[in-house]
Amino acid sequence: REKQLVEYFRAQMRKDPDMASAVAAIRTLLEFLKRDKGETILGLRESLKWATDCLTGEDSSVAVSSGGELFLRFISLTSLEHQDLSRCKKVMEERGELFLEKISMSRTKVAKLCHTFIKDGAKILTHSYSRVVLRVLEKAAAEKKRFSVYVTESQPDSAGRQMAEALRKLNVPVTVVLDAAVGYVLEKVDLVIVGAEGVVESGGIINKIGTYQMAVCSKAHNKPFYVVAESFKFVRLYPLNQQDVPDKFKYKADTLKTVQNLSEEHPMIDYTPPSLITLLFTDLGVLTPSAVSDELIKLYL
Amino acid sequence: MMEPKYQNLVEYFRAQMRKDPDMASAVAAIRTLLEFLKRDKGETILGLRESLKWATDCLTGEDSSVAVSSGGELFLRFISLTSLEHQDLSRCKKVMEERGELFLEKISMSRTKVAKLCHTFIKDGAKILTHSYSRVVLRVLEKAAAEKKRFSVYVTESQPDSAGRQMAEALRKLNVPVTVVLDAAVGYVLEKVDLVIVGAEGVVESGGIINKIGTYQMAVCSKAHNKPFYVVAESFKFVRLYPLNQQDVPDKFKYKADTLKTVQNLSEEHPMIDYTPPSLITLLFTDLGVLTPSAVSDELIKLYL
Repeated sequence: REKQLVEYFRAQMRKDPDMASAVAAIRTLLEFLKRDKGETILGLRESLKWATDCLTGEDSSVAVSSGGELFLRFISLTSLEHQDLSRCKKVMEERGELFLEKISMSRTKVAKLCHTFIKDGAKILTHSYSRVVLRVLEKAAAEKKRFSVYVTESQPDSAGRQMAEALRKLNVPVTVVLDAAVGYVLEKVDLVIVGAEGVVESGGIINKIGTYQMAVCSKAHNKPFYVVAESFKFVRLYPLNQQDVPDKFKYKADTLKTVQNLSEEHPMIDYTPPSLITLLFTDLGVLTPSAVSDELIKLYL
Repeated sequence: MMEPKYQNLVEYFRAQMRKDPDMASAVAAIRTLLEFLKRDKGETILGLRESLKWATDCLTGEDSSVAVSSGGELFLRFISLTSLEHQDLSRCKKVMEERGELFLEKISMSRTKVAKLCHTFIKDGAKILTHSYSRVVLRVLEKAAAEKKRFSVYVTESQPDSAGRQMAEALRKLNVPVTVVLDAAVGYVLEKVDLVIVGAEGVVESGGIINKIGTYQMAVCSKAHNKPFYVVAESFKFVRLYPLNQQDVPDKFKYKADTLKTVQNLSEEHPMIDYTPPSLITLLFTDLGVLTPSAVSDELIKLYL
């Protein structure tokens, strides 16, 4: 059963590489729900939790874990009112479809909110490869704005080069800079936009390693530091420092399974505290970091 | 007539670098200039100085680091301090050569002096962060290890040439526990370290430094985390520049010498160095003593008088 689950998840990811991994996970969970043969609501919920854990073992990003939990909460909101199990299940499936539809629109909503902050002639700095940031920049380019982009190379996987390729296809002038050159290049840029792998309760973000020092340098240069994230990335964590982020998010899933001594590995993510973030653009609106905890609580109620 | 002289000069410089890879490139350059002085057949003091300036320019064309340029200029000034008192050219030249040897001897000792001053700041059990490959920092850490201090080191990988790995290798030979971190992981690792020590390719008039790209953001993050940011540099690296921002550093220092000669559009190239302003530096350890950034300009002026 686990194999089938993971296979379906991978097939979803392959089918649409532009889709967020959390969206693929939620599709997988919905399909799992439809095929489930459980007899009780409690059993159903246990199965879904188990399925979410399997998927987190496949793709260790924060969003898969938070997306799965939000999905479960959303569909369970009305399930306790019906006597008949099959009707409950049907309602849960309908709510699941609704949830999926809402989050598929989230990236477009974010882009619509954010692109107005990009003025004509702006120089933008971004970090690594983020599909949300790409969508924002696409929208801004479609609005006939002229801007140029600096992208960090983002070791160890050089994801920044993929971002640069995608931007060149949009005819946006792009320069790839070294991770070490962020401080060097910041005096030339007007604003910094990054994506997020997860948004935490304090209003801070978890993102690809290198984001934290980009935020510190932006603060030092007084440049606005914008974060774009969909609401399913809101996660119930409150890290106090870098070490506080759980190891299961810090490293890739296969690294966690195979490597003995994790301290030898390069961490893939870091935590950026809310004091360094100017604004967060989400499908729930444009939020200051302090407003994030309110919205997060409302989501998870 | 210029060509064979140029060839000889550059060949001698390269031979010096090969002979002792542990020697600073500026020291090799000064040895080359001294040899050039000895072999020079000029007839006037002015001609001699012109030749030495030309030789320094040639060497800067070979190795574009800031220290070669500043080292050459300081050498010229030092040897010219007393040359005008004698009537006979050959005696002047002899005095200049003697002063040149003295200068060379002084600067060969400078790294040891710096290490002696700095190692006391490394406490037992300290965790140190450093950037890329610096022979001065290596000497400091050697001395601290020799004093039986236990410390561990985080080194940045330092793209694009991964010089940090070379540093890690050298430190492993000293049995110092060392971890190589990504350039992007500097902010991540800073909460774990106690102090940051970096070398410098050049020290500028404001008290700031020019060093491998990535130093500036390391300094900003150290300031944000309230960790001391120490710089170790020999005095021949003091250069007469006053950059106001990153763009202000002359292009001839930003890129490697061969890049400058071959590439058309420099904006496509990754810059090799950046400028760290004095406000982010805690202390500079030099062979002239332990200086605050504001004291640097005093010392620099005294050197260049």
